[in-house]
Amino acid sequence: MRGMAWRLFKRDWQSGEVKVLFFALMIAVMAMVAIGTITDRTHRAMGEQSSEFLGADYTLRSPRPIEHDWLEKGRSDGLELTESTGFSTVLAKGDEFQLVSVTALGGKFPLKGEFEIADKPFTRGQTMQAQPEQGTAWVEPRVLAVLGAEKGDTVDFGSIQLTIAGVIVGGPGQASEMFNVAPKVYINQADVERANIIQPGSRVSYTLFIAGDIQSRENFIDWVKPQMNKTQRLTGGKEGTPALQASIERAETFLRLASLISVVLAGVAIAVAAGRFSRRHYDYAAIYRCLGMQIAQVHRLYLSQLIIMGLIGSALGVALGLLIQQVIIVQFADFLPKPMVPINWAPVIAGGLSGLVVLIGFALPAFFQIARVSPLRVLRKEMVPQPVSSWLIYLLAIFTMALLMWWQSGSLKLVGILLAVALVAFVIIRLMAWLIFKVGLWIGKRGSTAVRYGLGQLKRYPAFTISQVTAFGLAFIIMLSTVLIRSELLNEWQSQLPEDAPNHFLINVQPSEVPNLESILAEQNVETAGIYPMVRGRVTGLNGKPIEEAVSEEAQNDGSLRRELNLTWVENVPNANTVVKGEWWNDAGQPDEDGVYQLSIDQNLAGRLGVDIGDVFEFSIGGVDVEGKITSFREIQWDSFQPNFFMIFEPGALNENMATYITSFYLPAEKKPTLNTILREMPTVTIIELDAIMEQVQTILDQVTAAVEFIMLFVLLAGIAVLYAVLQASKEERVLSSTLLKTLGAQTKFIRMTLLSELALLGIFSGILGVIGGEVLVFVLYQEALDIEPVLHPWFWLWVPLIAVAFICLAGWWGLKSLLKQPAHQVLRQL
Amino acid sequence: MLTTNNLTKTVKLPEQSLTILSEVSLTVNEHDSVAIVGASGSGKSTLLSLLAGLDTPSEGEVELAGHPIHKLSEDERAAVRAQYVGFVFQSFHLLPGLTALENVMLPIELKEDKNAQTKAKELLEKVGLAERLNHYPHQLSGGEQQRVAIARAFASEPKILFADEPTGNLDTANGEKIIDLIFDLNQQLGTTLVLVTHDDRLAERCQRLVRLEAGKVIEDSVNESFEQAKTAETA
Repeated sequence: MRGMAWRLFKRDWQSGEVKVLFFALMIAVMAMVAIGTITDRTHRAMGEQSSEFLGADYTLRSPRPIEHDWLEKGRSDGLELTESTGFSTVLAKGDEFQLVSVTALGGKFPLKGEFEIADKPFTRGQTMQAQPEQGTAWVEPRVLAVLGAEKGDTVDFGSIQLTIAGVIVGGPGQASEMFNVAPKVYINQADVERANIIQPGSRVSYTLFIAGDIQSRENFIDWVKPQMNKTQRLTGGKEGTPALQASIERAETFLRLASLISVVLAGVAIAVAAGRFSRRHYDYAAIYRCLGMQIAQVHRLYLSQLIIMGLIGSALGVALGLLIQQVIIVQFADFLPKPMVPINWAPVIAGGLSGLVVLIGFALPAFFQIARVSPLRVLRKEMVPQPVSSWLIYLLAIFTMALLMWWQSGSLKLVGILLAVALVAFVIIRLMAWLIFKVGLWIGKRGSTAVRYGLGQLKRYPAFTISQVTAFGLAFIIMLSTVLIRSELLNEWQSQLPEDAPNHFLINVQPSEVPNLESILAEQNVETAGIYPMVRGRVTGLNGKPIEEAVSEEAQNDGSLRRELNLTWVENVPNANTVVKGEWWNDAGQPDEDGVYQLSIDQNLAGRLGVDIGDVFEFSIGGVDVEGKITSFREIQWDSFQPNFFMIFEPGALNENMATYITSFYLPAEKKPTLNTILREMPTVTIIELDAIMEQVQTILDQVTAAVEFIMLFVLLAGIAVLYAVLQASKEERVLSSTLLKTLGAQTKFIRMTLLSELALLGIFSGILGVIGGEVLVFVLYQEALDIEPVLHPWFWLWVPLIAVAFICLAGWWGLKSLLKQPAHQVLRQL
Repeated sequence: MLTTNNLTKTVKLPEQSLTILSEVSLTVNEHDSVAIVGASGSGKSTLLSLLAGLDTPSEGEVELAGHPIHKLSEDERAAVRAQYVGFVFQSFHLLPGLTALENVMLPIELKEDKNAQTKAKELLEKVGLAERLNHYPHQLSGGEQQRVAIARAFASEPKILFADEPTGNLDTANGEKIIDLIFDLNQQLGTTLVLVTHDDRLAERCQRLVRLEAGKVIEDSVNESFEQAKTAETA
């Protein structure tokens, strides 16, 4: 029997019977393997990259020295570990002092990424993974400016002296600590004890940097996590780059959706093609049955064929998928993280296996049908098998989809939502297809002869027409929404990080220095995002009560109440801020009758603290009590790279003399020397260079963009497979009707016109369905899944139907034209 | 070999039920050749499908080679067909995916006979297609296809051969050849033959003629010309 299944498969292949089925399967596997492998590799490589921000795969921070047995366990697990001690202290050179944040390294650092150590500020240096030698220090450029020191000078550090051995110009990113006022200094762990600098009561944090292969480090993390107490904090993976997290998560959601969608589309193509295959095999099965084959034998024969097809198709799909991902990785090497990590075989195997799952889930019901044909069909052509309960078919397909979605996304919630949406959507789409068809019929009555004939063809089998419009429409809906979501994501990212996004921050600018700073920047044509005064203050009360009593226990632990906040005052709403509740002050500088000034607060913070418009906060600012009445909530775009504030006062509320100023601006590389001018004229100003980090952010966005771009190609390919399968499945009907016309004496020209008109109408109907459905789907996805402001896309309302008509006419005509050239009797014999 | 008793087939239509075949009782002896004739819609094909166990009667009994096939399940009837029955159809019904040789081998393989290939080759030689063993059906002419179908029908060494308009799709010359072939093989192999036909030439070659009209047997006669031919032969 197996030999026969193989012979039949070969024969069916030669005659083109199984090609669509086979290609749809191959596309599904190819998409899954390629998408799975590339996302997996990119994901892991990005993880590596964000580890560079952190300087390790994980950091474990503790207020007490790291437990000895944790270190032992980590080392015995084969992990690379570096301990560090962090504290603030003062470096002195002669009469100059600078508060610095010291990291004393007990081993080489960073474990991921590299330090760049230079001889002079703002120049390129040497990259290395190392620790400063005993008795030396690496310092950030500001330290040199303030102390008036240079490389080779010695500075006082506790009871000893350290030699400045280099200037840190690059290294593990500190995006999350960009407002860390004190500049960084790295020293050797051994010098901490020598300097006798840590006294009982000193605020010291101990950090363990952890790196290693994924298996060992995850093992270690799983082991150490339950033993950690509340004061200890583990950071790892994506958390190293908070500003990027939203973008990356959104991209991952898109990729997950896209890979699911291409699989489901391929599934639909397989189901359609399997239906056609099984209809064409009823005759053969009837002969087998007539010749005495048992039902089970016929089942086995066709299942064997299905398995042969599944194995070969999956194997080819895997091979092509791997080839494609390799081509893409090489092609996009510039955009992808470096170095690229090797292939992990899990997604490859999963892709191959899921090919078989898709094939069984979507093709089995149709194949199962074949053996149920009555042997009587050999005498009576009209005998078709009792249909398998359509519930069974749908249930199996839905179950398969759910399984695949769960497999690909790992999120049951996503599966649930998608399935529910898919079910409701299917019913709605079918209804809409029906409606569009009816409206089309009504409008078309007034159309030209060709249109009326085309409609006549469609009207003869309305259920079949509606099924075709539904299937085409579904493919267009999915392709359109993929294209739209992709462009929206890309727009969003580009607008999020424009070319001239601020890449330098200046803080600690004295009020008297502001005019000078403004003139220096103006001279260089550098535009700032605004120069904001900044005053540090602590929240002490709310509505007349001490803050500990006024807010919930959870809110008391909020970071904003536990530390000093950066407060500012402005007249107008700053860029990247939107008032979402209440009203912004328009008579700035006028306190109300009780002498209370207005206050605007971040809406998320307001939510966390449970405060509302009209509530009054009390602050302690440098020992002085100040009140502020909340009159507006703001939504803040935190990743805008400009100074942003949780709380903004109305001008007049705060004491100008206590403020320092902060600003950010974009400075292209060639204007870097401006920084030296600023530091020379205002030595106490602190410069925070973000350009390196911004560059990394841009690179990651580019990578994500590239990933999104090519994954969209798979969705389009799978969509085309569906269109092709449906056209193929409806080909016989079309050939039959045009052959009949030909037999009845119709001119080829007339037949061509009728056929093209029918195909074009199908294109228009499904194109319209695609536009409506696509817009609705995208609207919902923007709001629910991707958190993007929904918009309409009128431009596509014309394009999609046009493309639909062009594609369906071209592909449909291409499949038919050879048959139309043959004499009628030959065509009839082939059917 | 084949006995029916009050064989009746009715189909339910939305309005009423339609009797296609009514109380047909027949007995066909081993080595008989029977032609079932009648106008279109008289119930010939229905009778054939019931006799061959492709369908089940609404009432009445069919016994084929000792098996009460009206009582058997689909698969049990298939087993009886595999064991005793061969078919020749008007539209040949060859499997387009298999070569001539493979088509003929199929019923032999279904009987799990190890010598399928040898036997199939012999049969194809008998029908004059020794040169075309590895051709696919679409590479053969209509007459050749029907010859392959005949070889396939005899391949399982059936006790009884059912033929449904075997010459219906062929021109006169090819029809003649096919008729000769069926009867030659029938004689060589001692098969019982039941055929449905419009073709007088074909009906004349059978021993018996059963005429149907509106689902009823209106004539069941021994073919005189056949008797004459037989007598002439023996004389």
